[in-house]
Amino acid sequence: MNNEVHFKVAIIGGGPAGIGAAVGLAKRGVGPVILIERRGEVGGTPMGYRKKPGGVPTFVEWTRGRVVFGEELAGRLTKRLAQTGTTIRLSTQVTKIYPAEKRLTLLGPEGLEDILVDAVVLAAGAREQTPAEKGWLAGARTARVGFTRHVTGWLDRHGLLPARKPIVVGSDLIAYSAAAKLCALGSDEPVMIDQRRSPEASFFERLFFRRWTRPDWSGGVSTVEIKGHGSPTHLESSNGREWQGDGVIICGQLVPNTELALMAGMAVDLPSRQLQLARGQTLSQPGWFAAGNVLGGFHGAQWCYFNGCSVARSVARFL
Amino acid sequence: MTQFGTWQPKIRGRLYYNWPRGTCEEALRFTGSEQLGLEPYDLVIIGAGVVGCGLAYQLSQYELRVLLVDRLHDVGEGTSKANSAIIHTGYDAKPGTLESELLQEARAAWPDLAARLKIPVDPIGGIMLAVTDEQERQLVAAEKNAHANHATDVRILSAAEIREREPNASPDVRGGLLVPGESLGDPFMASIAYAEVALANGVDILLGTGIAGVELGQAPGAPLHHLVTDDGHRLPARRIINAAGLGSRRLADGYGGGAFDINPRRGQFVLFDKCARSLVRHMLLPMPSAHTKGVLVSPTIFGNLLAGPTAEDLPLGDPEATHTTVEGIRRVMEGGSRLVDGLAQQPVIATYAGARCSCNQGSYVIRYNDGAPGVVTVTGVRSTGLTTSNSLARHLVDGMQKELGLELSSDTVALDARPESAWPGWWRRPFEDRPPDARADHGCAVCFCEVISEGEIRDALDSPIRPRTMDALKRRTRALMGRCQGFDCQVPLAELVSGHTGIGIEQLTNNGPGSELVAPGQAVRPEEVSA
Ligand SMILES: Cc1cc2nc3c(=O)[nH]c(=O)nc-3n(C[C@H](O)[C@H](O)[C@H](O)COP(=O)(O)OP(=O)(O)OC[C@H]3O[C@@H](n4cnc5c(N)ncnc54)[C@H](O)[C@@H]3O)c2cc1C
Ligand SMILES: Cc1cc2nc3c(=O)[nH]c(=O)nc-3n(C[C@H](O)[C@H](O)[C@H](O)COP(=O)(O)OP(=O)(O)OC[C@H]3O[C@@H](n4cnc5c(N)ncnc54)[C@H](O)[C@@H]3O)c2cc1C
Repeated sequence: MNNEVHFKVAIIGGGPAGIGAAVGLAKRGVGPVILIERRGEVGGTPMGYRKKPGGVPTFVEWTRGRVVFGEELAGRLTKRLAQTGTTIRLSTQVTKIYPAEKRLTLLGPEGLEDILVDAVVLAAGAREQTPAEKGWLAGARTARVGFTRHVTGWLDRHGLLPARKPIVVGSDLIAYSAAAKLCALGSDEPVMIDQRRSPEASFFERLFFRRWTRPDWSGGVSTVEIKGHGSPTHLESSNGREWQGDGVIICGQLVPNTELALMAGMAVDLPSRQLQLARGQTLSQPGWFAAGNVLGGFHGAQWCYFNGCSVARSVARFL
Repeated sequence: MTQFGTWQPKIRGRLYYNWPRGTCEEALRFTGSEQLGLEPYDLVIIGAGVVGCGLAYQLSQYELRVLLVDRLHDVGEGTSKANSAIIHTGYDAKPGTLESELLQEARAAWPDLAARLKIPVDPIGGIMLAVTDEQERQLVAAEKNAHANHATDVRILSAAEIREREPNASPDVRGGLLVPGESLGDPFMASIAYAEVALANGVDILLGTGIAGVELGQAPGAPLHHLVTDDGHRLPARRIINAAGLGSRRLADGYGGGAFDINPRRGQFVLFDKCARSLVRHMLLPMPSAHTKGVLVSPTIFGNLLAGPTAEDLPLGDPEATHTTVEGIRRVMEGGSRLVDGLAQQPVIATYAGARCSCNQGSYVIRYNDGAPGVVTVTGVRSTGLTTSNSLARHLVDGMQKELGLELSSDTVALDARPESAWPGWWRRPFEDRPPDARADHGCAVCFCEVISEGEIRDALDSPIRPRTMDALKRRTRALMGRCQGFDCQVPLAELVSGHTGIGIEQLTNNGPGSELVAPGQAVRPEEVSA
């Protein structure tokens, strides 16, 4: 705790946005830079989307005009990161930040450690909204009410289906990609439900996924309850509709991981947890920047990478 | 230096899960009553809720052969896992009742009990808020009632005094009652701590085992009864304590127990993100009605903010007694917003519901030699069972001495405490004062939201009541309980559990067989495992 290490810039999160920031800073000769990633590998969300024969590629790589597996995209980014000379801390989480002092507390295999920096890029990504957070989904608390992250975790790491008869809640790109993955690897055609009247994913996005899935779509649902004991058996809506299934996948509606900033008193809107940003993606405290999916909403991985690169410019200017 | 969450006592009792092959280690698997020894039990407690566990702990202080049995897959997994988690002072109880007496006894005993058993408790105090003129007029009577319950530190606060203490209290607040002794507790750790010490002292624990009925012994005097499990095993018992909560009526029917009617009174809750914790300083309580204590807004001991519960009477046996409803959640938000300004803007992370065992004969119905000699029924422990778990157990042990002729001789080597190392890691962070022999896995977080390390998960898996479901693990460690609700950590956690216990990852469950994490009946493809 006592002998604090100093870095010029700290990047919180080693996903596409964090990697982009590291690459951008290196290009501008800013250093030393430390990138802190709480998982055992860099690459962020796309890294969990393994390349598999018969699998479904879901990441658009605009620069190559192709749709690839997340792992491929993340792998290319990771290689660029390796050439930057950035100090990388894996299995290390930023657990607390002190905005005014620009101090970060890290927890890793060596225990707790504080570092001091001149600027910070928050690139902590986003997560999917919890069922309760939606406000229109209630009922039983059973097993197999999970997220898209669980679909990739179970399928790509273990070859196990999180549901045979899946019910996908949500209808954005993430929901379609989850449905496609499930179908491609052996589930029944998923049921897809949403409060919206028509799917959130665009026509072209849906067209892309038609090769693997044509989900049994129900739009305009009102409030829904999960039924079952131990495991889900079906969903029931307040206007009498019923959908059978043995697993519920809650998709999309990303919530930005801004709680570090929120808990440290920086300006964050509630209940959305959207950061209040100034020019150059600056947070309410000078010297603090944000990039990627932590900005809120849904952004593609390559967009997040370039966003990280461009934030590096603002950081360099600040320094 | 202490490594928290690493208590591994010498265990004299036996622990079994009545689970299919492959779902837990063979050494933990129940296959037949001969595993439990041939001697009949002096006492069998049906129901390992906080009442049954509290009683098992108390009985474990004596030389007795005791079995604690539950149909669920961990201790404290029924009503005891879903409540407001308040250690009540009993200021609002009806004076002169058994409930009031047990609450008063509990109030005096909790600080020592919590310190001995390492149950996290935080005495933050409560304020009962009057938000209408009529409620304001009721404050005087409420204060008098509190003083009649010997809660002499309870006093009326003016609206201004409340505002000073609670800047976010609703602008409608007219006044209130300060209840300094109300405390937050860890609802899970109470059952777990009791059961761990009981197990260490030689109480046998059988989980995943429903009791279908009782075969009453016919011999005069002290007959030998048998419990029959759902899957047909017979367990011999000289005395039986029915502490089965909402299952108590059905069991009592099987041994001809006296008249009482129970039904689940559902209570729904909304759990807010930790960022909402700073909204309040005390637990803020509504003025109670004849039916219920009403919707309160309180911090939890874990650092979240909680609003609830509702009070909805449902028929006995209703499978949805612990389901939430959109309407119920709306009412909780509405009730909470009457007390606290800005509650509706706070991010929600989860909702849950618990089912009180509401009894038409009032709270705390206790019957000795109920239907047959040696059979005890304890039911209707509706709203205060966490608080009274130890005072009720003492009361029951006294009662059994008098009414059943139970003879007690102290077990001189029995533990009555857990050591410092039993504090859960989330409460006393294991990595904050790192001992020189620290393990690196105590620094690697697996649950990012609650910052729970891989080491803490392994330690919990090795704790006395070997938890073998994800829910059992989360109640001990807080993994999966944070703002992402398992988004990031479910799969890595399952990998960790499977790796540490040898249970196939496809066999792991949320809360016992029938709640598998992945669609059941899949075999892991070997090439995936090595990848
Ligand atoms: C569930 C989900 C599914 C998606 N599916 C698709 C898809 O199919 N196709 C597609 O094109 N896009 C998809 N996206 C979007 C895509 O993943 C993002 O555009 C991109 O990964 C965002 O990059 P990022 O760096 O902002 O965040 P992430 O890739 O999420 O990276 C954030 C990183 O920060 C780390 N981190 C967070 N907090 C801390 C901390 N306190 N300390 C240390 N490290 C921390 C995390 O571990 C993570 O590695 C999906 C996103 C999500 C959430
Ligand atoms: C909404 C709500 C809020 C509450 N708030 C508080 C509070 O703030 N403070 C407080 O002190 N108390 C509170 N309580 C009350 C407290 O939770 C209960 O009094 C207590 O949990 C009751 O414990 P129990 O052991 O009687 O019941 P349970 O925990 O239900 O235990 C009974 C056990 O018996 C088992 N069982 C049933 N039938 C069988 C069978 N046939 N075979 C084998 N096992 C069987 C069940 O599986 C269960 O585990 C609250 C309760 C609710 C619902």
